[in-house]
Amino acid sequence: MRIYYLKPNIIVSGMLFPLFMFLAFAAGNPGGPSAMIPGLVAITILFSASSIEPVSVPIERRVKTFDRLLSAPVSLHAVVLGESMSGFLYSLAIAIVVLIAGALLFGMSIIIFLPLVLGLLLTSFCFATMGTLFASYPTESPGDIMSMLNVVRLPLIFLSGVFIPLASIPPLGQIVAYFSPLTYGYDLIHAGFTGSSHFNPILDVLMLCVFIIVFQFAANRLFKKYNT
Amino acid sequence: MNDGETFGFLGPNGAGKTTTIRILTGIIAPTEGSASIFGKDIVKDTIAARKLMGIVHETSNIYDDLTAWQNLMFTAELYTIEKSVREKRGKELLELFGLWERRNDKARGFSKGMKRRLTLAMGLINDPRLLFLDEPTSGLDVQSNLIIRDVIRDLNSRGVTVFLTTHNIEEANLICDRVAIVNKGRVAAIDTPERLKGTIQSVQSVEVAFEQSHPDQMKDLENIPQVSEVRKEGDKFRLITENPSAVIASVMEYAKGHNNRVMNINTYGPSLEDVFIKLTGLEVRIKGVRTVE
Repeated sequence: MRIYYLKPNIIVSGMLFPLFMFLAFAAGNPGGPSAMIPGLVAITILFSASSIEPVSVPIERRVKTFDRLLSAPVSLHAVVLGESMSGFLYSLAIAIVVLIAGALLFGMSIIIFLPLVLGLLLTSFCFATMGTLFASYPTESPGDIMSMLNVVRLPLIFLSGVFIPLASIPPLGQIVAYFSPLTYGYDLIHAGFTGSSHFNPILDVLMLCVFIIVFQFAANRLFKKYNT
Repeated sequence: MNDGETFGFLGPNGAGKTTTIRILTGIIAPTEGSASIFGKDIVKDTIAARKLMGIVHETSNIYDDLTAWQNLMFTAELYTIEKSVREKRGKELLELFGLWERRNDKARGFSKGMKRRLTLAMGLINDPRLLFLDEPTSGLDVQSNLIIRDVIRDLNSRGVTVFLTTHNIEEANLICDRVAIVNKGRVAAIDTPERLKGTIQSVQSVEVAFEQSHPDQMKDLENIPQVSEVRKEGDKFRLITENPSAVIASVMEYAKGHNNRVMNINTYGPSLEDVFIKLTGLEVRIKGVRTVE
């Protein structure tokens, strides 16, 4: 997967887009950029973790290297899990860079270590499985999947408490927020940085685990249906 | 398929050759029926079956951003081959396919023939008992063609079973122990190339080249009573007949009568291509050939 990490559309979608999003919202935020660091970490994870597979899988289908993976003596589940792992590791590395940058540039400190670590790990894996789920769509064009993915990812930013607190979102939006994995991922990361959270961190962990199981299970089913 | 044979799977485009390979390698599930690889059911025991086989897909599906060596080692890791074994075998294979000097070059810069050879090396990295080759020499340069054909013969002599799909009939004729001719998803005939050819003795031919050519030549040749069909092949004519000796006499007489000279004349038995044309036309049954409907 290392050959895909520096593909232009992954750099744009996984690194530059979250950075510009952060700058845009930090500029108008009364708390300044440092208050936005948990949000930046969360959306960086959202975009970086879910961008790898939707780019790599269609390219692999086009050049037929995906057939090589499908015909290797490994199970389809292992192939699908491997796809998720590629997004997970990439996103984790980017998130750690953002954390270090936040600490050095804005003096951000970590209040509670465990929620932050769990938040990084589970949120990264959760969005990697979401990327894998979308990548199961049988196309050879990354753009097809990215378009569908953005229809889901962009609203999540505004409906998960990242830039707009959950309490300020209209009631209908709050209901939608409960079904967003970003809500729980951001809440857990926020707890790590500030010590406060909207939900009990244990609930955040449980909900992220549920999303991971659902996404990975669905990805397995759809890869089997559309790719074999 | 018999253990240790080179088996050719012939058919026109869209006949189902690649689909058959995808079923036999467990990439797609059969809608009906079953297949087993050395006793391992490809659906129920997929991973064990795949460990016994090497697969060379129709497209040279290598990673362009990896070097030849990295491509080979990655494939070996998919087969969980021990490091010392995969490195030794990787070196042997790259040398065999004339790629050792280019092992550290990214595959992106390789020619089509080099990519095909690397793909074949990747298919052999696990030392398979059965090798699937999907159109292995399609569109390749002469050097790559010769290397690949030599390797197939060598594999066969070492007891490796080879399953080869191709639409290059002459290639199948040269290297296959048996061939199956498929058409519209069904096997029309299975036999040795010679036995298949022997079933259509009516398709013999006389190939003739004249010193001078003129526009009515084709029509004149078609009027020879024993000739059923005339094909123009470059500067030569191929006359399909059941009676080559009578046709030769008629051709010589025709040349003399037109103040022309025969530069070259040869007779041919039926080719595997003739069998192929006949079977993939409309006829499914041919006398003496085991047919499958």
